[in-house]
Amino acid sequence: MSKNLVELIRRHHAEGAPTALEVLKAAMDDHGAITDDDRRVAAERSGLPEAAVHGVSTFYDDLLQPRGRRHVRVCTGTACFAATGDAHVDAVREGLGLGLGERSADGETSLAETVCLGFCHSSPAVRVGDVIDAGPGVVERVLAGAEREAAEPDPVSLLAEPVLIAPGTWAGLRAALERNDPEATLEDVKAAEVRGRGGAGFPAGMKWQFARAATGEHKFIVANGDEGDPGSYIDKWLMERNPELLLEGMAIAGFVVGADHGFVLCRSEYPRSKPALEAAVARAREAGCLGQDILGSGFSFDVTIVEGAGSYVVGEETALLACLQGLRGTVSARPPFPAERGVHGMPTVVNNVETLCNVPFIAARGPQAYRDLSPGATPGSKLVCFNERFAKPGLYEVPFGMTMRELCEDVAGGLVDGHEIKALQIGGPLGGILPGAKLDTPFDFDALAAEGCMVGHGGIVAFDETTDMRELARHLLHFGASESCGKCFPCRIGLRRAHEMLAADAPVDRRRLEELLETLELGSLCAHGGGMPAPIRSLLAHWPDELGLVAA
Amino acid sequence: MSDARFDTTVTTTCGYCGVGCRLEAHARGGRIAAISPALDGPANLGHTCVKGRFAHQFTRSRDRLTAPLIKENGEFRVATWEEAIDRVARELLRIKAEHGPNAIAGLASSRATNEDCFVMSRLMRAAIGTNNIDNCSRVCHSPTSYALRKAFGLSGATGSFADIDRADAAILIGANPTAAHPVAGARIKQAALRGMQLVVIDPRRIELADYGVLHLAPRPGTNAAVMLGLAHVVQRDGLIDRAFIETRTEGFEAASALIEDYTPADVERISGVPAADIERAAHIYAEAGEACLIWGLGVTEHKYGSEVVQLICNLALMTGKVGRPGSALLPLRGQNNVQGSSDMGALPDTYSDYRPVSDEATARAFEEAWGVPLSREKGHTIPQMFDAAVAGDLKAMYIFGEDPAQTDPNTSHVIEALESLEFLVCQDIFETETTKHADVILPAAAFLEKQGTFTNAERRVQLVMPAIDPPGGAKTDFEILTTVSKALGHDMGYETPEDVLAEIAKLTPSFAGITYERLGRTGLQWPVAEDGTDSPILYRERFELPGGKARFATLPYRPPGSEPSEEFPLILVTGRRLEHYNAGTMTRRTANLELLPSEVLEIHPDDAERLWISDGDLVSVRSPYGRIEVEARVTDRIEPGNVFTAFHFPEVRTNLLIGPSADVNTSCPEYKVMAVDVRPVAEAPARRPALAAGD
Amino acid sequence: MTSVTINGRTVEVEPGTTILDAARAIGEWIPTLCFDERQDPFGACRVCMVGVEGAPAPLPACTTQVRDGMVVDTRDATARRVAGAVVELVLSELPEPPASHTELAAVARQLGVSGTRWPGTVHERDHDDRHPYLALRHELCISCGRCVRACDEVQGTFALTATGRGFDANVAAGLDQGFKDSACVSCGACADTCPTGAIAELSLLDLAPEPLHEVTT
Repeated sequence: MSKNLVELIRRHHAEGAPTALEVLKAAMDDHGAITDDDRRVAAERSGLPEAAVHGVSTFYDDLLQPRGRRHVRVCTGTACFAATGDAHVDAVREGLGLGLGERSADGETSLAETVCLGFCHSSPAVRVGDVIDAGPGVVERVLAGAEREAAEPDPVSLLAEPVLIAPGTWAGLRAALERNDPEATLEDVKAAEVRGRGGAGFPAGMKWQFARAATGEHKFIVANGDEGDPGSYIDKWLMERNPELLLEGMAIAGFVVGADHGFVLCRSEYPRSKPALEAAVARAREAGCLGQDILGSGFSFDVTIVEGAGSYVVGEETALLACLQGLRGTVSARPPFPAERGVHGMPTVVNNVETLCNVPFIAARGPQAYRDLSPGATPGSKLVCFNERFAKPGLYEVPFGMTMRELCEDVAGGLVDGHEIKALQIGGPLGGILPGAKLDTPFDFDALAAEGCMVGHGGIVAFDETTDMRELARHLLHFGASESCGKCFPCRIGLRRAHEMLAADAPVDRRRLEELLETLELGSLCAHGGGMPAPIRSLLAHWPDELGLVAA
Repeated sequence: MSDARFDTTVTTTCGYCGVGCRLEAHARGGRIAAISPALDGPANLGHTCVKGRFAHQFTRSRDRLTAPLIKENGEFRVATWEEAIDRVARELLRIKAEHGPNAIAGLASSRATNEDCFVMSRLMRAAIGTNNIDNCSRVCHSPTSYALRKAFGLSGATGSFADIDRADAAILIGANPTAAHPVAGARIKQAALRGMQLVVIDPRRIELADYGVLHLAPRPGTNAAVMLGLAHVVQRDGLIDRAFIETRTEGFEAASALIEDYTPADVERISGVPAADIERAAHIYAEAGEACLIWGLGVTEHKYGSEVVQLICNLALMTGKVGRPGSALLPLRGQNNVQGSSDMGALPDTYSDYRPVSDEATARAFEEAWGVPLSREKGHTIPQMFDAAVAGDLKAMYIFGEDPAQTDPNTSHVIEALESLEFLVCQDIFETETTKHADVILPAAAFLEKQGTFTNAERRVQLVMPAIDPPGGAKTDFEILTTVSKALGHDMGYETPEDVLAEIAKLTPSFAGITYERLGRTGLQWPVAEDGTDSPILYRERFELPGGKARFATLPYRPPGSEPSEEFPLILVTGRRLEHYNAGTMTRRTANLELLPSEVLEIHPDDAERLWISDGDLVSVRSPYGRIEVEARVTDRIEPGNVFTAFHFPEVRTNLLIGPSADVNTSCPEYKVMAVDVRPVAEAPARRPALAAGD
Repeated sequence: MTSVTINGRTVEVEPGTTILDAARAIGEWIPTLCFDERQDPFGACRVCMVGVEGAPAPLPACTTQVRDGMVVDTRDATARRVAGAVVELVLSELPEPPASHTELAAVARQLGVSGTRWPGTVHERDHDDRHPYLALRHELCISCGRCVRACDEVQGTFALTATGRGFDANVAAGLDQGFKDSACVSCGACADTCPTGAIAELSLLDLAPEPLHEVTT
């Protein structure tokens, strides 16, 4: 990330300037395409140089897909793929007579793909304007102009006392402020061993400690709400249905590290997140839980909600910080780590939404109570979600350490209509694929890693026996290549080549593919290029015949 | 790494501005194929600008002078070198015989090498026998030289460009480095983005003002008041470094008493700069751990320019911010060798190292080295030369690498002077406005074609090496000047420019340890001790004045030589553009002309509206001395009441507008303040040649 | 000071020094494409991978800071394999081999890479010659970011930007209107640093660059 551009942004932000991305998004909302005049206005208002604004405007899906008066976005996430094999995409395309990324000549209708809308419990999903419809009949309804809001899931907790799905009460913040010992609260979070819930599993307490130790005129807490992993709708639910819990977690983090401001970066694919979070911020200010002198403690902390613009890699923390500041959402090499130089060049903590939602419980009840939630396993609880292939899809709060079989069969009721689990992808597209035969693997960080899989975000996508694994590989690599930010060479070129190899109507040379996967794994700058080989490796290991491999 | 695209690659020093970029000049087929920055250049750190990198095609421009020209019956004809040298020698000897040596004067050039300037001054002093030698730093930084010597002792920046990288704050005064010194400008901009608190003092909102924390826009000609105001706040608010003042300076009491009078409110009345901004700027500078003061011709080219530089020095002395890493006073020298041409003694009153011509010991040393008696009398400065020519006292001039008819003020007077001479020799690479008046034109070499050294704005002496040969019959200045000297009966005895440098080192204490070998790739900053130790930072322990103490100057604000009136209500400020260089002799013969094809007059929207001027209109600009026509550019980067233009284009002879007012101590012309009248040219004819007053 | 051993030689460096700088200081060659000593390390090309004792996988030398006692092998087989593969990938995206004088050609030669195992789509030819000195060949852009950073970190003009994303990432001046009509000040720092000739001096294009070799497909 350019130090100089960040400095220009900092200076203009201090004078109340919007980010370039905000101005460009508004232009898109207003007239459905970005013109050079829009770019000039964005440069003038944001203080970012024109060229940099141009770069931003060519990066994000939301700024690149022309919009008609009726803008249709069809979900091409993995859960929707598992549900239809992408038949719904073809149906919408044919029905509208438009290709993906096209707008009708009269400007009336436009079609784009989107990954993913977070309605994986009732795939396939299609968005028209800000209305998301999903489930059986969705294509017909959309083509008839009769789309309707799809139902949200009702979460269930398997814990004696729900932690993450219990509405936030600000009790944890109150406890921390009354105790008035940030160091002690930090020690509690470290003792609780909260591992990041966004995929990497990094200990949250460590990030806080680094940021607390860093010096800066300001410090910031950033909640990573860019839940881009297809098949996952956990953070979506937390941001939209339990935003107080998140804000409380952020305020506690702010208190511990000495930050006075926080940001939530949520996804534009979730149109309800930003309004829900902003309403919650307003309520919290009203209640004295955010703003100046919180609850009479002298501690001040406020939160701004920022919406992304369509990019999977922005879920990576350095790319997220770039997006938050209105820059191209590309990954940056670390060091510097965000804890030293993040938002506006200041020390910044970036935690996943669910991670922060764990914090109020620890602050209120202490680390031992938290560890007791999952005896003998990773401390705390985890939200998991199941895709539409399951009999009882939806969102569940579970302890760590249950087997995948218990989760899939006992909790989610097995697959619908007597289908069989051919494979599971857990935790997002960078996770390995677990064959149905290995369902006795425990749901926990280390146990899944041993199978080349991961907890990741906690999304569990089942593929039934009808799924063509070469198609799945093609689907995953299409996603991987089109979401590559383009920063590092292995990912930028390698994912394109891997996709070309599997998309071509020809046998795949196994050795060349494996050499390419190694280059991606060892060479990539971030987990996107580094992780995309994992599911492909699983497919190679368990379904070599379906992939159409040949020896060199 | 060798590159098959090029025949040869030579590391040399840029011949444009005073930053002193080290360049790799790549040649192919006897022409410059490309130029790239040397990664180890200390001033440029692997960077250069549109001029240094690209503006080299002029070297093979079809109108390069490739043979000597002699004027006969008002027409130039091609001549052989023998004819031309013979003609020059005969005429100069005749005039010397008829009118004495002081009827002859020479102009060295701040574009030329140290060696060329030294040889030129020897030509005048030893071969002719006069101290009538000056160079064009007279019209740019002579006030800087004067003031730095008065305040600290030596005529050069107190530190290096590297100090910018270490400074916590800087005040930039009367300079637009991103256009005129682009590589230094880039360095200042990076420092400002890194967090160096940059205060810009300039009547225009220059590009760097966008990156600074504060911009003060004084009325042109009121810099002294602003500097006094800053000093007032520093003193009033207890921000002075008392220990430094007591141990290392003299004259503070008198200066301190005077400073009392310049309250921010008073300064606001004089300069138009809000009192609060004066206060803030003073605090930024004085409270910074390390801070630089950087200035350009916007400080010097004024009636009291040298005094403003002295007041700048006062500010550094009050706060003790001199002689330390990160706290430097850095004058941005306009031309590649402004520093060196004066260091070498191409001045009417000093030998090298600024030793007076009246100093017996110095004169003796030179007499011994050169084997001829030398005059102890000061010679003429450039303006005095032109006055003497018009008066009929000066009969011949030898002008080398300068175009005073384009670049000097009061152009009509300059032309009259040139026309009054009996004999004028010009030594240049192109025909210019000045060569039109010559009797003999000698075709010389460009910086890419010759050998020697340049001294940049941080006193860094760097090697210049030929990447290509001079075209046709053109010769290096070294060869021409030594040949002319021999024809005049004074054989200098040098075989190569390196021999000249060896003599300079022998005769010049601050060059004592300089050799080609020691200069190497990165040069040395004078003074260079005999063992080769150089001086990136001056005055760490003592100042180079009697007693080792710096001197405060007690100087009040005095109004500029030109003030707006009913007839001439606007103030014209002149300066440079990025793409071009001075008279444009070089850059206008490159594709830089495509990047910036013509000149404009910048005018504030309020003034433009009042005067019924729209962007792009042709306007007339009139001063008491002349009139030009130029296209208007309406911009809020300039303050109301001021207008700005550059002087690169002969089509727009800006200097026709500039009068005889000059710095009281050094005769440096007041280019930066001229009251003018601007009005639309009713019809918009094709651009006509400018009209001089009285035409 | 921090002590680091590179290819068996131990050297003391300032804390915070990168492996690359430490290696260069003792004359050990590590290939790079996105690195320029005038700019902050970028970490994009992944050609500077080296083996580090105890690390599970090769590390990028340009962005990895040395730790006391670190043992580095710049010729580690896995690291070299990855570096070579990345250069092969880069060659696979160009419609023509790089000219022999370019840094890319030099790195390919030094790593012994002459073709690619992964042929595929190449960048479309797109030339912009509107500036009197600077030529832009979009199809030769490998998105190393050096030109953009030169304009940002060295010149401070911000006239260039990365555009697009993924395989379609490229570079543009201003609003893609070419150098001349952008904020460009024609300093040429971009052409100076470009490792492929995607941005080059117009006048040098005629000096017949010979291709590195034929890319085997």
